[in-house]
Amino acid sequence: MTIPKPWRFAGKPTAVHQFHPVLAPGDAMSNHVFALRTRLREWGYASDAFAVEAKPGAPDVLPYRRLFRALRPTDMLLMHFSIGHEVFDQLAKLEARKVLVYHNVTPPEFFTGLNDHAAVHARLGLRQLAGLVPRVGLAVGVSEYDAHDLGEMGFENVVTVPILIDWSAYDVEPDASVLASMTSRRTRILFVGRISPNKRQDDLIRMLAYYRACIDKEAQLFLVGSFRDQPQYHARCLALRDTLGLQADVTFTGPVPMAGLVAYYRRASVFCSLSEHEGFGVPLLEAMRLGLPVVAYDAAAVGETLDGGGVLLARKDLAEAAEVCAAIVEDAALRERLVTAGTRRVRDFASDAVAERTREALGL
Amino acid sequence: MSEPASGRVDVDEIIAEVRERIERKRASGVYGPEVEAALRLPLPGGRPLFVEELGDPVPALRDAIEERVEYDPRSRKPIYGRLITLARRAAIGLVRWWIAAKDERQERIDRLTYRALLDLRDRPSPGFDERLRTLETEWARYRRDLVAADLHSVYFQARFGGEERVIRAQSERFLDLFRGRTRVLDLGSGRGTFLQLMRDNGVGAYGVDLDERMIATARERGLEVVEADGVAHLAGLAERSIDGLYARHLAEHILPGELVRVLRECRRVLAPGSPIVFVTPNPRTLTVGAHTFWMDPGHVRPIPPDLFRFYLEVEGFEGVELVTFEATEGTTLREDVGDEALRGNMRLLNETLFGDRDYAVIGRTP
Repeated sequence: MTIPKPWRFAGKPTAVHQFHPVLAPGDAMSNHVFALRTRLREWGYASDAFAVEAKPGAPDVLPYRRLFRALRPTDMLLMHFSIGHEVFDQLAKLEARKVLVYHNVTPPEFFTGLNDHAAVHARLGLRQLAGLVPRVGLAVGVSEYDAHDLGEMGFENVVTVPILIDWSAYDVEPDASVLASMTSRRTRILFVGRISPNKRQDDLIRMLAYYRACIDKEAQLFLVGSFRDQPQYHARCLALRDTLGLQADVTFTGPVPMAGLVAYYRRASVFCSLSEHEGFGVPLLEAMRLGLPVVAYDAAAVGETLDGGGVLLARKDLAEAAEVCAAIVEDAALRERLVTAGTRRVRDFASDAVAERTREALGL
Repeated sequence: MSEPASGRVDVDEIIAEVRERIERKRASGVYGPEVEAALRLPLPGGRPLFVEELGDPVPALRDAIEERVEYDPRSRKPIYGRLITLARRAAIGLVRWWIAAKDERQERIDRLTYRALLDLRDRPSPGFDERLRTLETEWARYRRDLVAADLHSVYFQARFGGEERVIRAQSERFLDLFRGRTRVLDLGSGRGTFLQLMRDNGVGAYGVDLDERMIATARERGLEVVEADGVAHLAGLAERSIDGLYARHLAEHILPGELVRVLRECRRVLAPGSPIVFVTPNPRTLTVGAHTFWMDPGHVRPIPPDLFRFYLEVEGFEGVELVTFEATEGTTLREDVGDEALRGNMRLLNETLFGDRDYAVIGRTP
């Protein structure tokens, strides 16, 4: 039992609230918060989501200042942590049953020299985590990788509970205009995730150059995800694309609504991740769920999330990654086997099962 | 690409096939320097990603030191923008000399650090070198002392070496095993007794030894001997390049791990169906194991016959068998006693104390 003793003796919490500095629609972390809020309310708890900044379209998010008035010592507060923010220092002092939900902090090295603001916050995040060690009763890692990091940082009461994904949200008609926009060319490589240096979209662009030169000269790459947070990196990726003469073949879609996202997964021929840091990797599961074979470089939590549900690349070799994608595009039987393996793996993340696991871990 | 029994996708198989494809594309020129250049193209518009620079930090550090930090104090905010710009400029003006002093200090530290780093890289720490040299010397001395390598082997051979007649008689036992072979290797060939026997019987064979004098003796007889370390020589041979291996009194001179390595190399360099023979003192005979074995300071440890057999079997040799040699004449207990039980005991005692002095373990590559 990981629930701290004093919590156990005081009975169930009187409310379960959540906090993350930024909550935005379409963002995997935010979706996790909202899906969890729905469950918490179903279980009969008063539950709200608080943020410093709620992006337009984020449903029903309360300003974080209200927490200082509303939070009672018997309430539970889930502090979702993926980047440093000054507010965490204030929240840490609040009297409540504080739980840290750790989604991992992208190492600042990825941002150094590219986005000082992001690097400073990543570094702040690592410092703040150390400060949170004596302040939270329970630390949740959303992957074994994250839980291991928590242990290294000195958190004693650590448990692993995966991200809760509301799979029913994916049961929508795919956006017809997106389907139509994806041409009938044979190879359509997809990656989903914020445009960010840790996700190494630049490597995917280089890989496409190999693919077009050595495999299929009409191959395309679709990079789905917001580029608002990393304008410098995005601009340089565009410059790389142009230098390689791939203007017409690499598409940065920006953020897309659910119907569009489903359409990309449905219409693509392979999902390829060359990301070098993922605390969990929701898009890997989305691809598996929507029947798209996955090829992914083994970094941080990627291997653990994939766990046999796709092809895991042990080393980063862009030619190899491209050829693996090609093998899947060309070999229908292999593709079928990967889809089956993916479908099987994603079942481990069924909404109800994960919700139950969360409930148990939080002692609700 | 087949599906393995577990139902999982065999990634290793896919990767192996993919690597072959890449090799073919390299060979055909499809994957040429142009594509390689594209794969290595740095991200345009600034310095390489820091995570990549960390892979080769020294040149990156030089570039980073040269880089200037630009700051534009102008604000783009619509109403208060001018005010903010003014305030920033004023603040910068007020602390300019403080910033400059800090900048200068940082500059000094950066330059010194970079210089020190280069110096360290080019001229490793003298203290460390000294300690490393001492360790290396001591380790080499330990290895020499362990086997009394500085003893003059000629005198040693003259005093304790086996008689050539006996050795030849021993070797003859294996003649049939090697008959018809064209390239048999004698590891630790010594004076060349075995090689001579092979040549006399039309078997192609050559030897490897480390001892210059031994090699000279063998070469005087017109035998082919290579001066080399046996283990290193084996490692340098091509796959399936020899068709027999004989090693007399070698195994007890090397560490158990080295022996296993020798066996593995043998599996690699021997053609299928080739015989291997190792002859070594028999520690099961107590006067050998407890006494004569240690007459050679170069002996590392005795190898019990069953252990040697196990080594061969576990390394994949087939038809492994142990062969012992008849005891040489010498002291024995008298067995001509009246009581039958006592006679039996005396025989057993003779075997245990004065039995076979050497044994051979024989195997074949599959």
